[in-house]
Amino acid sequence: MTRAWYVLLALMFAAFAVGEGWDFGTGALHLLVARSPAERRQVVRAIAPLYSWNEVWLIAAGGVLFLAFPKVFATALSGYYLAVFLLLWCLVLRGIALEVVGHLADPMWQAFWDAVFAGSSALLALLFGAAFGNVLRGVPLGDDGRMFLPLFTDFGTRGRVGILDWYTMSVALFTLVLLAAHGATGLARRTGGPLELRSQRYAKWLWPAVVILLLVVSVETGLVRPGFFASIAQRPAAWLAVFALAAGLFSVLLGMLRGRQSLAFAGSCLVVAGLVGGAAASMYPEMLHSTLDPANSITAANGAADEHGLRMALVWWPIALVLSLGYAGYVARRTGGKVYIEETRAVIALSSQRPE
Amino acid sequence: MTISSDPVFWHRLQFAFTATYHYIFPQLTMGLAPLIVLWKWRAIRSGDARYAEAARFWTRIFGLTFAVGVVTGIPLEFQFGTDWAGFSRYAGGVVGQTLAMEGMFAFFLESALVGTLVFGEARLSRRAHFAVSVGVCAGSWLSAYFILATNAFMQHPVGFAIAPDGSLQLADLGGYLMNSWAWSMLAHNQSAALVSGAFVVAGTGAYYQLRGVHKWQAHMYLRWGVTLGLIASVIVAFPTGDHQAKLVARNQEVALAAMEGRFNSGPMAPITLIGQPNVVERRLDNPIALPGVLSFLAYGTFHADVRGLTAFPEDTWPTSIEPLYYAFHIMAGLGTFFIALMGLATLDSWRGRLEARRALLWALMLALPFPFIANAAGWMTAEMGRQPWLVYGLYRTRDGASDVVSAGNTIFTLIGFCGLYLVLGLLYLYLVGRDVARGPAHDVGASGELAVIE
Repeated sequence: MTRAWYVLLALMFAAFAVGEGWDFGTGALHLLVARSPAERRQVVRAIAPLYSWNEVWLIAAGGVLFLAFPKVFATALSGYYLAVFLLLWCLVLRGIALEVVGHLADPMWQAFWDAVFAGSSALLALLFGAAFGNVLRGVPLGDDGRMFLPLFTDFGTRGRVGILDWYTMSVALFTLVLLAAHGATGLARRTGGPLELRSQRYAKWLWPAVVILLLVVSVETGLVRPGFFASIAQRPAAWLAVFALAAGLFSVLLGMLRGRQSLAFAGSCLVVAGLVGGAAASMYPEMLHSTLDPANSITAANGAADEHGLRMALVWWPIALVLSLGYAGYVARRTGGKVYIEETRAVIALSSQRPE
Repeated sequence: MTISSDPVFWHRLQFAFTATYHYIFPQLTMGLAPLIVLWKWRAIRSGDARYAEAARFWTRIFGLTFAVGVVTGIPLEFQFGTDWAGFSRYAGGVVGQTLAMEGMFAFFLESALVGTLVFGEARLSRRAHFAVSVGVCAGSWLSAYFILATNAFMQHPVGFAIAPDGSLQLADLGGYLMNSWAWSMLAHNQSAALVSGAFVVAGTGAYYQLRGVHKWQAHMYLRWGVTLGLIASVIVAFPTGDHQAKLVARNQEVALAAMEGRFNSGPMAPITLIGQPNVVERRLDNPIALPGVLSFLAYGTFHADVRGLTAFPEDTWPTSIEPLYYAFHIMAGLGTFFIALMGLATLDSWRGRLEARRALLWALMLALPFPFIANAAGWMTAEMGRQPWLVYGLYRTRDGASDVVSAGNTIFTLIGFCGLYLVLGLLYLYLVGRDVARGPAHDVGASGELAVIE
């Protein structure tokens, strides 16, 4: 039962990374890829229909973590105290920037909120990247199963580690570049006109950087977590993830060369999902690995809630998932296709009509 | 230990602040949503475009309120882990069920549809857009149920078992979800949210009427606002508030004594209208009280014996008796005032002369913030009354806080929230004020890029 919930949770985080990761990446590129105020509105319109739904995956995954692995939820969130609040504040700022930027047709107003949106998105990509790095590296869990990480200690990856060290910072950087590439690929698919071409150009530069950084981070991970790759080799689920990653990279390449943007974006989604899935498959059953003593680690077995609760949740969870995909499918069908700047201009003209 | 270095005090203050601030917004969206649904329905049935116009105007305010509610709500779920790690370890296997359900059932529904509700009217048929408004309304009320079921477990734990390691585990999901306390709170809390929505709508109508603008819309906001306001205000008091008070009297007797500032036991217990609790001297200063009424409200007869605080061990007393006493009295006092104001206004509205009553219109406009205060005071009553327990009778608040987090970290994040939420509040008031000043007739239904979802 704990294994089932570990898998479902990994899938939920993968869904969050794919959907909201696209939104973060788009936000991080926002000021670079869109050169005029109208293009900036076009970018926001491209992600508008489902960005809120994408974000709910984080809340839902957080709820499921709380439900299925309360000890992991409690230990991780209290241990990462300051980083969690930084992350939450960025989510608040980003959400509010997206909401209010269109309320006033004033250039200073929009420039300010565009900058808040871009800055908080980039910071979120870095913070989630650092968090991912922390999970891979491990955390200083003591004999009592507790921890509290300062933002940084000596930037080393052994013993009393902090949230930031050379390894987690390089994972953060990798995540930012990966999500930017993911964002650019998605934006090329969702928009038309000069913005589409510019997004393609960014994607063309960003994907090679992703591949290089992926190799670097893989080597680093092998050094920081000896045994990481050995366990990938032993686990069929991890092979699947590695295969998704490889197939994803290939589709991105093929899609970009042939100009088939949906293929490229599908590949990009696979890459992101494959990375989350691969990490989860390799770490199982550990959820929080202790850098002090592996015996202190919190696993899916000793961090889980009682069996009966898990079984009951498995009854209602699939129903909720189907409903959720249904709503999103409905919205996506109604809002699919490319977003063009001409309509964006028309909307802006409409909204700036001042009532007398 | 002084208060300033006691981490638990700061954990409590941080959660109280972020939760109270957050709840300003959902109570308004939950209060407005049914009105929007009703107006859209009227617009379809009667074909009267003015109802559609009203729905559109309030949907715009709904959208902004909803967004602020979402961003201030996200931190709360995670604060269970950051600040209440002890509680999360202890009760996560039970309360995690409803928190996860809220995300999976309510938030996915709302998040997918709210954009279509606010910006998608032009692209949908009237019936489809009406259906979307029903979905959003249902999502927001569903979310309330899951949160109230979670809170009800903390007030009145049912459906659980104690695991070998001492933590709680789920024993009966049906029992947990059907907690009688949850349904009682749901009825009370949702009617109180409707009061907030009704006061905002009626207050806005009164403002337009006093200015002499948007005449038809003003008339309608007043008529619907005061009628709904009266119905909801009455339901808040009776039967829901009354039932809630009886539950407290039966299950949290010591909390009832503290809410009333009652130290000594005895029959013919009075209800205090005004007075200042003096905990050190164990008495109520300058009381103005109605004898026997508390006995009647709590147990149904004037002669019932109501026990005072001194009848209970001191370590089970609520930890902040004075604020609890005031929170309860502010809530009950305002609730009574709402019935009176809305009663008068409804009477005049039915006789068709409310528009001419300028003093009453001023009162309706100026009363707009009061339901928000009453809602906050009601929640403070529930939460401070539950103390010193986090899960009533089972688990103390002191044990639930994150022991690894020092006061310095909690104060740091509390200050951060204060700054961030100040900005949010100003922004919200500015933008809503602007929309209200523009008024419904000029609402073009679209502004900015989010406006167009093809």
